[in-house]
Amino acid sequence: MKRNGKIRLIKDGKRLDGRKFDELRRIEMKVGVLKRATGSAYVEWGKNKVLAGVYGPRELHPKYLRDPTKALLRCIYNLAPFSVEERKRPGPDRRSIEISKVTTEALNSVVLVERYPNTAIDVFIEILQADAGTRCAGINAAALALADAGIPMRDLVTACAVGKVDGEIVLDLMKEEDNYGECDMPVAITPRKKEVVLLQMDGKLTRDEFKRAYELAIDGAMRICEIQKNALLSSINVDVKGV
Amino acid sequence: MLRIKNNEFVIPGQLIGSRIICDTNCFYENGKVYSAIQGIARVIGNRVIIIPSSGTYVPKEGDIVIGVVKNIMSRNWVIDINSPYTCILKGEEVARDPLNEDIRKYFVVGDIISGKISRVDEVNNSTISGPRKLENGIVIEVNPKRVPRVVGKKRSMLNLIKEKTKSRILVGQNGRIWINDGNIELTIMAIKRIEKEAQTKGLTDRIAKMLEENYNKN
Repeated sequence: MKRNGKIRLIKDGKRLDGRKFDELRRIEMKVGVLKRATGSAYVEWGKNKVLAGVYGPRELHPKYLRDPTKALLRCIYNLAPFSVEERKRPGPDRRSIEISKVTTEALNSVVLVERYPNTAIDVFIEILQADAGTRCAGINAAALALADAGIPMRDLVTACAVGKVDGEIVLDLMKEEDNYGECDMPVAITPRKKEVVLLQMDGKLTRDEFKRAYELAIDGAMRICEIQKNALLSSINVDVKGV
Repeated sequence: MLRIKNNEFVIPGQLIGSRIICDTNCFYENGKVYSAIQGIARVIGNRVIIIPSSGTYVPKEGDIVIGVVKNIMSRNWVIDINSPYTCILKGEEVARDPLNEDIRKYFVVGDIISGKISRVDEVNNSTISGPRKLENGIVIEVNPKRVPRVVGKKRSMLNLIKEKTKSRILVGQNGRIWINDGNIELTIMAIKRIEKEAQTKGLTDRIAKMLEENYNKN
C-alpha cells in the first residue's frame, strides 16, 4: 500500500474498501428510537453510528434568551469518548463547537421557528462510533429526528461529503481517505430546491474540480434523501399483532 | 390542483398542490401549498388536513385540558398543561375575594385539575377557567396528537372503552387522561394500544376484541 513513503488510496481504479468513485457506503436509518425524546433517529453510515434526539418545543431557560417571535433552535454535536480509537475527552472541544454551530445554521434555514415563540428546540447529535463523515451523518439524523418530532419544516436536510483522493474526485470519504486525502468537502442541501445550507472545504481544489465535486455531492445527497424518506415511511408501519 | 391522494403519507416539504386550502400544518410558497410535517393527508373536497403523528401540545381556546398546579402566586395559580407555554388560573375563578383570602384553601401545588382553555394570546400563553379538582383515580399521559384517535369519531372509541371497563374517563386535549373506578388497568392497556397503533386500519375492531376478551376474564 505504501509507495515512495505515501499511502496509496486508489488502486486499480478502486478505493481501499473496493468502492467506485461515486459509490456511497452502506447506510441504514431508523426513526423513533428514543422513547423519551419528542423525536429521534439512528443512522448507521459505513462504520459511523449516530444517534440524534430532539426535545421540544419546550420552555426556554434562561429567560433572557427567549424570543417572542420565534423558537430558539440549538444543536449540540458530541463525540462520545468511546467513538474514536484514542479516547476522546468528554465535553465540547473546538471542533465539536464548530460542528454544532454549522449544524444549527443548516437546520435553522428549514425549521419554521416562527410557529413556536418563546420556546427552545434542542437537537442532540451523539456520535457513538466515528469513521469520517460524522457531521454529514449527524445532520441527516437530526433532520429525521426533527421530522419525527412533528416540528414543522420547509424541507428535509440531506448532507453528503465529497473529496479529492490521489487526484480523483470521490464521494463519501472514509477515515483513511479523509486523513490522507487532498480535500474533504461536506455539503448539505434541501432536496426540494437543492439550496445549499452547509458548505465547507478542507484542502485544495481547482475551480473545475470544485464544480465536479459539487455535482457529485448533490447526486449523492439526492440518493441519501430517498433513504431518509423510507425511514420516515417505515415508522408509521407499526406492528399490530402484539397486545 | 391536488398533487397527493387521500390517506397518503406526506413528509416535510412535500408538494400538496395549488389553489388548495390547508390548515396550520402546511406552508405556502409561490402560490403552492407544501406540507410542513410528516403525517397522513386527508382530502375533503378542496381542503386538505394533515394529521400529525407527533408534536407538542399548543393550547387552543375551548380545549378541555388536565393540568397540574405547579406554582402559586399572590392571587393566581400557574398550571402545567404539558406544553412549553404558561397557563394561568386566575383567583377570581374560584375565590370571591382573592386578594384577601389565602387561595391555598382551594388548590395547592401538586393538585390535578381539569378546566377549559378560555383565552390564548399571540405568544401562546393561556388562561384556564372552570377548574375542577380531580381526586383519586390516575392520570396517564399520551402523545397529544393521538388524542383524537382515543376519543374516536363522535366519541365512538371512548364510549366503547367506557362501556366495557365501567371506568370514568376524562380526556384532556393536552394528552393527559384521567381514569377513575372500573377496570383501570384494562382502560390504560386499551388507551396505550390505541396510542401505539393510532394510524392503522381496523383499530376499533381490534380494541373491541381486546376489551371483550378481558371483560369476560373477570
